[in-house]
Amino acid sequence: MKIAALRLYNVRRFARKGVAIEGIGDGVNVLCAANEFGKSTSFEALHALFFQPHTGVPKDVRNLQPYSGGNPLIEADIVTSQGRFRLTKQFIGGKRATVESLDDRRLIAQADEAERFIAGLVRGGTAGPAGLLWVRQGITGIEERDRKEQEGERRVRESLLTSVQGEVEAITGGRRMSEILDACNEELGKLVTPTMKPRANGHYDIAVDNHARLVEEEKRLSAEVVALREALDERAAILRRLTELEEAGGRAERRGAVEKAEAAFEAAKLHTQALKTAEAETALARSWSDAAERELSGFREAMQQAGKLSADLATAEEQRAKALYRRAEATAANERAMAAVLGAEAEERAARELLARLDAALKAREAGEQLSGLRERLARAEALRVAQEEKEAALALAAIPAGSIERLRALEVGIAGLRATEEAGLPSVCVAYEMGASDTVLMDGAPLADGEERSIRDHVRLDIPGIGTLTLRSNRPAKANDALKAAEDERRGLLAASGVADLAEASLRQSQAQEITAERDRLRFELRHLAPEGLAKLREEVARQAALPPADLELTGDPEEARRSLTLAGQRVESARNVAREVQPSAGRAADLLVQAEAAHAGLRGEQSRLDAILGPEEARASRERTLAHAFLERHSAFEQLEARAAGLRRTAPDLESVEAARRRTRSAEQSAIRDEMELRERLANLNGQIRTRSDDAVEETWREAVEALSVAAGRLRAFETEVAVLVRLRTALQSSRSAARDLYLEPVLTELHPLLGLLFDDISVAFDEKTLLPHTIRRNGQEEEIERLSGGMREQLSVLTRLAFARLLARDGRPAPVILDDALVYSDDDRIERMFDALHRQSREQQIIVFSCRQRAFSKLGGTVLRAIDWQPSVT
Amino acid sequence: MTYRFLHSSDLHLGKRFGNLPEDLRGRLREARHGAIPRLADIALKSGARTVLLAGDTFDTETPAPDVRRQALAEMAHHALLRWVLLPGNHDSLQAAQLWNSLRTEAPANVVLAMDASPIELASGVVMLPAPCTTRRPGRDLTSWIDGATSPEGTIRIGLAHGAIRDFSEEAGAADIIPPDRAVRSGLDYLALGDWHGPVAVDPRTHYSGTPEPDRFKHDRPGQALLVSIAAPGAVPEVTPVETGIFAWRTLPLHLLPQDDGVTLLTSLLPASPLRRHTLLRVAVSGRAGLAGRTALAAAVESAAPEFAWLELDAVGLMTDLEASELDLIDRAGALREAAEALQAEGLDPARSQAEREIARGALERLFSYSQQVAS
Repeated sequence: MKIAALRLYNVRRFARKGVAIEGIGDGVNVLCAANEFGKSTSFEALHALFFQPHTGVPKDVRNLQPYSGGNPLIEADIVTSQGRFRLTKQFIGGKRATVESLDDRRLIAQADEAERFIAGLVRGGTAGPAGLLWVRQGITGIEERDRKEQEGERRVRESLLTSVQGEVEAITGGRRMSEILDACNEELGKLVTPTMKPRANGHYDIAVDNHARLVEEEKRLSAEVVALREALDERAAILRRLTELEEAGGRAERRGAVEKAEAAFEAAKLHTQALKTAEAETALARSWSDAAERELSGFREAMQQAGKLSADLATAEEQRAKALYRRAEATAANERAMAAVLGAEAEERAARELLARLDAALKAREAGEQLSGLRERLARAEALRVAQEEKEAALALAAIPAGSIERLRALEVGIAGLRATEEAGLPSVCVAYEMGASDTVLMDGAPLADGEERSIRDHVRLDIPGIGTLTLRSNRPAKANDALKAAEDERRGLLAASGVADLAEASLRQSQAQEITAERDRLRFELRHLAPEGLAKLREEVARQAALPPADLELTGDPEEARRSLTLAGQRVESARNVAREVQPSAGRAADLLVQAEAAHAGLRGEQSRLDAILGPEEARASRERTLAHAFLERHSAFEQLEARAAGLRRTAPDLESVEAARRRTRSAEQSAIRDEMELRERLANLNGQIRTRSDDAVEETWREAVEALSVAAGRLRAFETEVAVLVRLRTALQSSRSAARDLYLEPVLTELHPLLGLLFDDISVAFDEKTLLPHTIRRNGQEEEIERLSGGMREQLSVLTRLAFARLLARDGRPAPVILDDALVYSDDDRIERMFDALHRQSREQQIIVFSCRQRAFSKLGGTVLRAIDWQPSVT
Repeated sequence: MTYRFLHSSDLHLGKRFGNLPEDLRGRLREARHGAIPRLADIALKSGARTVLLAGDTFDTETPAPDVRRQALAEMAHHALLRWVLLPGNHDSLQAAQLWNSLRTEAPANVVLAMDASPIELASGVVMLPAPCTTRRPGRDLTSWIDGATSPEGTIRIGLAHGAIRDFSEEAGAADIIPPDRAVRSGLDYLALGDWHGPVAVDPRTHYSGTPEPDRFKHDRPGQALLVSIAAPGAVPEVTPVETGIFAWRTLPLHLLPQDDGVTLLTSLLPASPLRRHTLLRVAVSGRAGLAGRTALAAAVESAAPEFAWLELDAVGLMTDLEASELDLIDRAGALREAAEALQAEGLDPARSQAEREIARGALERLFSYSQQVAS
């Protein structure tokens, strides 16, 4: 939409006058006039045309009326994508609103339809910014303001980016939204904590507590009412039961039953006692009868035994006599055998003594013979000793020191070797004789045979016949034969020491010495044989033997004879003892037999006397037996009679236990009835007390009251819950629509704002407050500044730029809207204004901008279309 | 010989009204007690000498001693009258303690109809009571009257307490008194209690209703029945007499969107002097705008102090929001968006009733906040 013309008539100072601003074009339009010109009037009229319904007469409308009265008429020509239109509104009197097409002069809409048409122009939907963008220092509506308010407004102008705020608020709700949210939160906060718990001691909390308390109260009272009703019911039941118990029939019946049972029990008890007595008597009779029977049978048995016993006794006496005789015999035999043993033993002793004596004499003789032998041996041993010593002496003479012979032999061999060596080194002489030569050469006097080679020791003299004497000299060095000489010296020494001439003699002497040694060794052996422990020991032995006392050498006799007689004596002793041993046991047996016989006899005698005691004198025995048999018969029949009587009683005896049980049962039935009655009465008294107390407390009334109060409290609680839910829902709705608005518009507006800011300021960006969505800080050269700290000029520039950004946004959306600035740049300096103008022009390529200003001089530089107000008369009034 | 008596029931003495404000409770209780002297006055003035109370004289089985004693004292005070008390379902014979006390304390002119046996009220007039044995007897207690014969020429008056129709859903058929009990059992009149509003079942069978109403349900003034029986078999002459002090009324108010609810309400409210003794429930239905609704609530609130009790039941009232009302919140922008979202939610049939109510409430709240913080 663009505005092409504005006309007004009868508006404020233009009473009965009209003014028209025609030819408002695209881009920047400037209406620059002094303050009293009616600039603001135009502005407010324009606002009223678009935002005040023609039917209403609010203050804002009445303000348009001139003091002299009259009906304000406002008219505007607009251009939209649909065509050109004229909007007309007359207020207060002759109210009307029309929309006319300027293309074909057709009336498009009037009254409410015209209002709807206008609304469609200025509101591009509820969510977007208005189709007209006003910059009038934060005032979007035309309101009556008193002086104080105007003062306040000025302050607001100075302190806030109010016009931006207005537009932002149009989208986001802005401060109103914040205030409403605050109010909502405050009210919610009175009820609940941030975690949605009822706030302590708040109304909600009290309602919750009250409700809870009443729930408890109701529960308690209802329990009491139930208890009371139960008590009443129980009491009724008890009363019924008591009536039953107290009925005469029941009680008497129980009494009769008890008495009957008691009588039955007594009868049964008597019967039982009678039975017991009869049984005791029977038992006594039985024992008497048994005793009589025992006595009788005992007597009869004793009789039989007595008969048998007398025969036994005779036999026993006979055996006893026999035993006595046998014992006497055995005793005699035994004594004889013992005497024989004693005799044999005496003989044996004598034989042994004789033999001993003979032996001693023999030993003495042998000892004498031994002594003489020993003496002879001693003599021989001493002779041997002498011979041995002689040999030892001879050996000392003949002995050559050990090793001398071997040394001599070695020296002999060495000397021969040395000599041969010397000989080989000597010059030699040899003569070969001519055949037939007669003469012989003498060497040192000794002929030298043909071809014989002789060695030349130191010098030699050859006598050559016929010729003369030839001397040969070897001229050997002086010490040439020192080793030989040393060996020969040692041999000489050795020979001299051994006292021999040469080695042969030494060997001879050595063999002599060996013979002597052998002889000595033989003697020594012989001596050791004779006196193995030495001569001294032998001598001692001789002396000891000689010292033994002489024995009875005179006893003679044959020891063999004596030994034989001793053996015989021993045999005799042995046989005598065997005889005695044989006899002895038969004597013992005879004694034992006698004891047995005696014992049997004595036993039988005792038995006989016992039986005699039982049986009494022989003559009375038969009559006694008769008496005993009679007594038994009597006793037995008495017992049988009693037994029959007891059996009769036993048969008819009643079951005492069941009779007693019946008695117990009837008694306990009666007692429990009595106890029941007592308990019931007790319980009844108790219940009466309870019921009276509860009745007097009027629990049921109280309970009903509590129930009613509870329903009220529950209602109140529900109301609070609903209240909280409502507030929460409202808060959610507000928050979500605000953030949706921010997402939808604020970001795009910031995008649009950025290049505009670049036009005016270097390096600047605007931050919006998260909560109110209003410009909050400015970031300039990397420094953050509070909007409130900015200069007035800068604030208003920002505000205009923001508005322009909104306009660009609308234009982008295909809904271009005019931007109307009324004295928007009051505080800006000229330099900055020019830059602002640049921004406006830049923007105005796609945008209609209408500027109202009183700063004629400054705005002369703005350029654009200059608007003029001209007088105007409406065609229709 | 015309026999004349006053028929009443359901005094519910001692009822506490726990759901109402404290001082009003006291007044209501006092008014209940006051029914006794009021009944006595009417009886005496109209020449009746007997007052039949057809059950529920006491509200509970265990009325507070003062309630009981004061009632008896009041009755004793009107010594010319004979009071017949029948056990009802609230004060049945199961409340043995109550009836024992009454038996001990009752003055000579108070007859306790505790047995199902004839009581001679006057010569030639016999009363056949059907006392409630328990809270829910589960059988027709009046059946015994069928077999109770009376000498020829006797006026037979039945006295019973309970339903003849299935008033409540829970009551089984067994408890129900046959509607034709009077005809069937040869009664000249059957005085019934239990139903708090007066009902004429047939010319011989009547519920008197309570003399002092205690709930909004019946919407009728408290009254008693003055009964005159000219002769045995004659149709009784039954005259209702108003006895109530407090009126319990429900005021239906149906609004159309364009109606001015406040004006309508003002015209419908009872005259000022009556208000002190009126408990009024304004039941609004129909549709109203946000502003209208708010105004109506404010009007009720401002009138309330004149009444014993005045409440607005707006459950049936649908709230219509007009575009202009939304404009008052905001013409555009996020607030308007929020308002429209809430409005849509409040009308969204896909949502539960509770959710819609909450959304509507939120919208109303938004409206009222937006007016508080206007511009």
